[in-house]
Amino acid sequence: MKKKPTLGIYGFTGCAGCQLSLLDCEDELIDLFSAADIKVFYEAMSNNDDEALVDIALVEGSINTNKQLDELKEIREKAKVLVAFGSCANHGCVQAMALGDGKWEQRFKQVYGDAKFTVAIPREAQPIHKFVKVDAFIPGCPPSKIQMLRAITQLLFGNKPTYTNSPVCLECKFRENECLLNDGKLCLGPLTMGGCTAPCPTHNTPCIGCWGIIEEANHIAELKLLKEKGFKTEEIIRRFRMFGGSEIVEKIEKLLEVAK
Amino acid sequence: MRVLKLSKKDENKLYDVLIKFGEVWAPVPKGSRYVFDKIEKKEDLIMYNEFIRTILPIKKFLMPQELNILNFKPSKYEKPKVDIPTRVIVGVPPCEIHALNILDKFYTTDFVDNYYMERREKVIIIGKSSLPDEYLFSHKTNTSIVEEGYDLFFIDLGDYYLVWVGSEKGDDIVRLGSDIFSEDVPVDVAKDFVAYREKRRKAFTKDIDLEGVTDLMELMYDADFWDEFGEKCLSCGQCTMVCPTCTCFNVIDEIELNKDEGHRRRYWDSCMFKDYSLVAGQHNFRESRAERLKLWYTHKLKAFIGHFGSPSCVGCGRCIITCPVDINVETVVEKLKG
Ligand code: SF4
Ligand code: SF4
Ligand code: SF4
Ligand code: SF4
Ligand code: SF4
Repeated sequence: MKKKPTLGIYGFTGCAGCQLSLLDCEDELIDLFSAADIKVFYEAMSNNDDEALVDIALVEGSINTNKQLDELKEIREKAKVLVAFGSCANHGCVQAMALGDGKWEQRFKQVYGDAKFTVAIPREAQPIHKFVKVDAFIPGCPPSKIQMLRAITQLLFGNKPTYTNSPVCLECKFRENECLLNDGKLCLGPLTMGGCTAPCPTHNTPCIGCWGIIEEANHIAELKLLKEKGFKTEEIIRRFRMFGGSEIVEKIEKLLEVAK
Repeated sequence: MRVLKLSKKDENKLYDVLIKFGEVWAPVPKGSRYVFDKIEKKEDLIMYNEFIRTILPIKKFLMPQELNILNFKPSKYEKPKVDIPTRVIVGVPPCEIHALNILDKFYTTDFVDNYYMERREKVIIIGKSSLPDEYLFSHKTNTSIVEEGYDLFFIDLGDYYLVWVGSEKGDDIVRLGSDIFSEDVPVDVAKDFVAYREKRRKAFTKDIDLEGVTDLMELMYDADFWDEFGEKCLSCGQCTMVCPTCTCFNVIDEIELNKDEGHRRRYWDSCMFKDYSLVAGQHNFRESRAERLKLWYTHKLKAFIGHFGSPSCVGCGRCIITCPVDINVETVVEKLKG
């Protein structure tokens, strides 16, 4: 019999919701545990083999301390394929929403004052691709069962997960929703990678972009449109930043210029 | 062709007749719009007076948004067994019946699409005429009046409907409902009918001048306005999803976790998405949004004529009310005309 691929599931800063969502795939868990030799699963196991070399590492969470950074680099060395698992790992998620504004130290001081840190030295939240080579990703906050299991299946077969490069709007229209943008709401569907099956607009709540920015995202056009609809620049940018992580930082300057 | 009468006081009995032929589907409100939905109670079957433009057109019945088309194992593959119900779709406007005729041509010329056909055979189309709203421009696309493509077609003439029978299935329905469909159609009905047609003709207000656009598409192919539209476009793909004559889909294979099996899924795609034109070797024929918009409007206003003799825009107005940044047949034609 062919050897099963080894799998490690690690977690850094986040809510652990990605790991939890995987655990929540109750009907498929047996299949997962039979298809892979799971060496590490922080959220699910107590006897984790931290030293193990793994074929696939799913890494959840952003990097918020120097210690995490060291650990991440170790995982990179031990893993053949390293996968950014969920929005925190992919983009930095909400803890990175102010990324690059130059005021991190100031904010940190406001919260923690002069506290001394001994175990780990905190740093501004960053997605993992800022530090190590990332081979594949699974989007979502948390990832959807269907998309996640498909991706993991592809990984276990030795393939890179493929996604249809379409925005949330595709599935939103599949579910025959009226477009909230046309109703004057600040919906980020067109800027956001699909795969979530558009639960938010389906419940009449605008998409806030938790799947991360899609490659084709036209932020400038959406900014102009939202401004026409009466939204203030700060409000729009804040929403763009919420799950925009490190990607939006690269666009901010241009966006502020356009907004003038 | 037979024409019968259905008195409005018998309208509430229509559901009982139709339900004998299959599930009854009709427009129901959703937010400020409508969607075709399954009607479970006879009082929910409403023949709306005004023009009803559902969010998605009836193509959703014939080429579902997502469809599993094949199950496979290492040793064999098979078409999934699905029980496709017969659906009686009530209240289909003329422009959508034209769209249906276009889809029929598209899916049966050269290659017959079996997934389409097996659903097509299971729908019964009950069309309905109504006065246009401010976005409908089917009078400009020659799709405001239907001659074929329906099983029954209703025209509201005040106290009664005139009911055209367009197929054998339609004939079966009126025969089974012979207590409500009356053959007694006196000649003076013609007067009411002509008056209605005239009233309806005059009620169209959306003025999109499509004359010559086919040539203009050619001449204006490199015009600057395409780039302006390209900059505005959100690549959301809504225009193609809501257009009754858009037919594109993608097909992917998916393997099950730890099982020696998988399935092939087909789902709506959009030429507004970048990956749509992506081919092996990472080549992309339509890298820019402007190129993609040109493709779409060429298809709607020009290319289809070469293949099938008429443009593939049926004037339903969906793109006009759906595109968040106002890129639609109206604004494109405005630019083409300078
Ligand atoms: S991506 Fe979302 S669900 Fe996953 S750990 Fe981060 S906050 Fe939690
Ligand atoms: S409501 Fe949001 S997600 Fe849905 S189509 Fe409109 S912009 Fe896209
Ligand atoms: S609709 Fe938007 S906010 Fe909601 S789950 Fe999907 S990506 Fe996240
Ligand atoms: S192009 Fe627009 S108006 Fe024409 S059929 Fe499509 S959605 Fe309707
Ligand atoms: S033309 Fe409009 S509806 Fe179509 S993809 Fe662009 S923004 Fe979306």
